[in-house]
Amino acid sequence: MYVRSLVRTLQRCRSLTAGGVPAAAFRGATAAVTTTRGAHTDLPVPDFSAYRNSYADKPNEASSRGELGKRAAAYMVLGGGLAAGMVPTKDAIVGLLSTMSPSADVLAMATIEVDLSAIPEGKNVVLKWQGKPLFVRHRTAEEIDAAKNVDLSTLRDPQADDARVQRDQWMILIGVCTHLGCVPIANAGEYGGYFCPCHGSHYDTSGRIRKGPAPLNLAVPKYKFETDTSLVVG
Amino acid sequence: MAFGNAVYNALFRRTSTFALTAVLGGVVFERWYSSWSDSMWERINRGKLWKDIAHNYEEADE
Repeated sequence: MYVRSLVRTLQRCRSLTAGGVPAAAFRGATAAVTTTRGAHTDLPVPDFSAYRNSYADKPNEASSRGELGKRAAAYMVLGGGLAAGMVPTKDAIVGLLSTMSPSADVLAMATIEVDLSAIPEGKNVVLKWQGKPLFVRHRTAEEIDAAKNVDLSTLRDPQADDARVQRDQWMILIGVCTHLGCVPIANAGEYGGYFCPCHGSHYDTSGRIRKGPAPLNLAVPKYKFETDTSLVVG
Repeated sequence: MAFGNAVYNALFRRTSTFALTAVLGGVVFERWYSSWSDSMWERINRGKLWKDIAHNYEEADE
């Protein structure tokens, strides 16, 4: 059947190239030429059912009922790839950011724990913290009174004693003179606090600058009392 | 295909829900992947891990 229709098609082509000359004139000549138009209604529609999706096997029905599922399958592949790719991406970002966080040895050096029970009243202990001298002063009642009863308007760097201490008897300071960075001497100077020997700055028992060239009070680091006798600085 | 349609309409149709699905899928996938790779590690190293040999030392410690 295919062959016959092919032959007819060929015949039609030849009849056209022949310029519409009556086919009968050629009959019996080189080929059997005819003007008969091939009616293709006898060609069977090829069976593509093997290639069709099951939801689209009926040519007369809309395929939309299965179309979304097909799209869902495609998006499932894309979404699955995204989900799986997100994990190494997240790990890479976390790894990158974690290089910025300090390592354990740095963290260990960043804080210092002080046993306060070993510091008698009226004494100032000098410790090394982050490469700087750290003053821990056990103030007496008189020193606390002196620090509290200061007219703030007379201070160069006005700051109330309450803003500088968490517990009145413990004064925690970074022992670096705010002038040029010398280490002040404890229990010295005109105000009984600290005295910087380099250029003569006098600090009171709250570490505030009272006299001399230094512009600012001694710095107070971050600290907290773990227990009544344990202080953690940093 | 009804399931596929439901999934498509509920999750994949909008970009916002699709992105959310991908992120949550990533969380679920990570949990599954890490537990799977851990179990593979333990399967390969069975007999060499502390939890496999701990019973040999428990009495010596006591």
